[in-house]
Amino acid sequence: MKKSSFPRYSFLGAVLTLFAVAIFVQMVRIQNSADAEVLNDWANNYGYENRTIQSERGYIYDRWGNLLAGNKEVYEVGIEIKFVMNPAAIAAATSKVLGLDYGFVFKSATNPPEGFNYITLADFITSEQIDELSQLKTQYENKNPYGADPNKPSLRGLVWSPHLQRTYPEQDLASNVLGFFTFYDRKEGAGYYGVEEMYGNLLSGVSKNVLISLDPYEMQEIPTVPPGASLVLTIDREIQRSMEKILDHAVAANKADSGAIIVMNPRNGEILAMANTPRLNPNTYWNYNDYFPAGSSYNKSVNQVYEPGSVFKVITMAAALDAGVVTPHTPFFDTGQIEVGGWTIYNWDRGAWGEQDMVGCMQHSLNVCLSWVATQLGPERFYDYLERFGIGHRTNIDLAGEEVYPLSVPGDPTWYTINLATNSFGQGLAVTPIQLLTAASAIANDGKMMAPHVLKAYIQNGQQYDTAPQVVGTPISAETAKTLTDMLAISLEQEASDALVEGYRVAGKTGTAEIAVNGQYTSNQTNASFIGWGPVDDPQFIVYIWLEKPRSSIWGSIVAAPVFHDVVQELVVLMGLPPDDVRLSLAEK
Amino acid sequence: MAETKHASNTKTAKTNRKNRLAQAFKQAPWRSRVQVVGGFLVALIVVLIVAGIYLSISGQAATAGLEAYRLDLKRLDLERQIADTRAQIAVLTSATNMEARALEMGFQRISPEEAIYLTIPGYAGKQTMMVTTPPGTEPAEKQLVKYIYRESLWDWLFTGINVLSEGALEVKR
Repeated sequence: MKKSSFPRYSFLGAVLTLFAVAIFVQMVRIQNSADAEVLNDWANNYGYENRTIQSERGYIYDRWGNLLAGNKEVYEVGIEIKFVMNPAAIAAATSKVLGLDYGFVFKSATNPPEGFNYITLADFITSEQIDELSQLKTQYENKNPYGADPNKPSLRGLVWSPHLQRTYPEQDLASNVLGFFTFYDRKEGAGYYGVEEMYGNLLSGVSKNVLISLDPYEMQEIPTVPPGASLVLTIDREIQRSMEKILDHAVAANKADSGAIIVMNPRNGEILAMANTPRLNPNTYWNYNDYFPAGSSYNKSVNQVYEPGSVFKVITMAAALDAGVVTPHTPFFDTGQIEVGGWTIYNWDRGAWGEQDMVGCMQHSLNVCLSWVATQLGPERFYDYLERFGIGHRTNIDLAGEEVYPLSVPGDPTWYTINLATNSFGQGLAVTPIQLLTAASAIANDGKMMAPHVLKAYIQNGQQYDTAPQVVGTPISAETAKTLTDMLAISLEQEASDALVEGYRVAGKTGTAEIAVNGQYTSNQTNASFIGWGPVDDPQFIVYIWLEKPRSSIWGSIVAAPVFHDVVQELVVLMGLPPDDVRLSLAEK
Repeated sequence: MAETKHASNTKTAKTNRKNRLAQAFKQAPWRSRVQVVGGFLVALIVVLIVAGIYLSISGQAATAGLEAYRLDLKRLDLERQIADTRAQIAVLTSATNMEARALEMGFQRISPEEAIYLTIPGYAGKQTMMVTTPPGTEPAEKQLVKYIYRESLWDWLFTGINVLSEGALEVKR
């Protein structure tokens, strides 16, 4: 190495050293400059993302896995003020594609409220509309890159972000069972009625706010939350749809105010269908008031009590048979009236039916006979049986808002001796359809009353938890249940009821309950009902039908019994139940 | 005697070499500067290598961090798409649509009289929905980023020392 090279190397070294020192000094200066605080604030503001992590609301399926409630992708559209290049173009595009008011958008983009960096223009926009906006934005961007030319349109600053919205693909199918979720309120949305309310906590999962560092060096595991639990209902979509069709037709044909049909498996309490009118499409839940004016019930099957009338006679007869007070062949001479507690009770037709047995009493639905049966039973045993059947108590079905009407019993100030008689044929007390169905299901299930329920299973954290059927009581013996079932089947057959279905032996009872108006019963407004089950030798379904204020006829035997026929005709096909003779012959093989 | 002489010779040779080096540095002082510069360059190279490795690793860490963030957004996007697709399928296969399609294809509703029933040995009938396994043992909690990607150099070092010391203790026992 030449000696003359040293000064040059020394110079180079000095320059590099100075450069390094300059960098160091500059670093120290920046760290301590007046702008350091501002820069720190920027880093703090933009260095973290405050994210609300919300579980996806759980799905609701029918028993076969058909989706009844799910979630779909929609978008929030807004403008980021500082990136807006052409407010007029944004106003025009959103006005055309989203139908927004041009003036509102233009004003929002040009004269935003003080301190606002982002303004929401619209929410719950469909992906199709967003596709259209996106195409337009790309098209403008290609013609006017970065929106540099103010004379050319640009949608810079117009942004959208996706989120989920509750959706009900089957529209109003089973809407009274499902309830609805107020998805338009993205922060405080909640489930109302049905399973959406009942299982709201399970469905909604968890929500938490987390601070996520955007510094890639600080990137930690981004927290996740499991989705809300999904529910598998006992509802059978096909049966539900059929029942709703039959009910809609029956309500329209009989000019009834409303109606309800419940189908349950008496063996395990699973509700297979619960059809009601009116039905609200939960996708447009804001129309609630149009369907349910003040005082009306969302789900009449569980939310509304009414005097059931003669269908209640099955409970009275079950009690009397079980107590051994009567047998199917106990004679009764009907004079057309009976006095109880100083009041005279008449039959529905004010006629006298003469010599009868208990089958005849049920067949002709004789109030006088059943009042006599109740007096033979006595108040203590009669009300003890009603208690065992759960009358006056909630069934605790897993649907929100179940109503109950307290039962007046001896000793209560509201109870009089006449109540024993009137209660025996379903007046002076009130039940919900699900309550009476549950009580009667004991007769269809060898005396065992099963808890009615709509939840078959729920799925949480990737595992499925099945619900177990629950016996809630055994109000009568299996022998009594069988005897009464036979009596009711015979009474339908002898009456040649419209409820009968060829090939299938069914048991049932009609009900016509006069509606009290201003404390007086009026015969031109009734609740027409039918309770029935089948096949008699091995019941697979129990059905409750209620038509409120039918105008074609006031009688349950005329308006409700044919509905039961239609229901069973559909049920046997949908449930794959062969006619009795076929089934029995197959069983013998 | 011979050994003493040999040792004396060796010592002399070493002293001579030292003297020669000292003389060489005196005669050409640039040699000592080269030594200094060389030392500095070696240190600089070491620093550069360390800085390079640091930059490379931190670059990879930053890329991985951004990728993790991007993938998380992608996951959220996919979850929404899956939910949306499910909803679309549900609409397409809704009872109303399926009935309309069936009617279009010439199917008719069957009446109870038209049905033919057969016994099929072993067929348990239509089964209700079972989408997941029934409850059993709780699955172990999974962590998105494995521990080895999160531990610091010190963690790694001390973990290694602990493992080694435990191994040594085991051997002693």
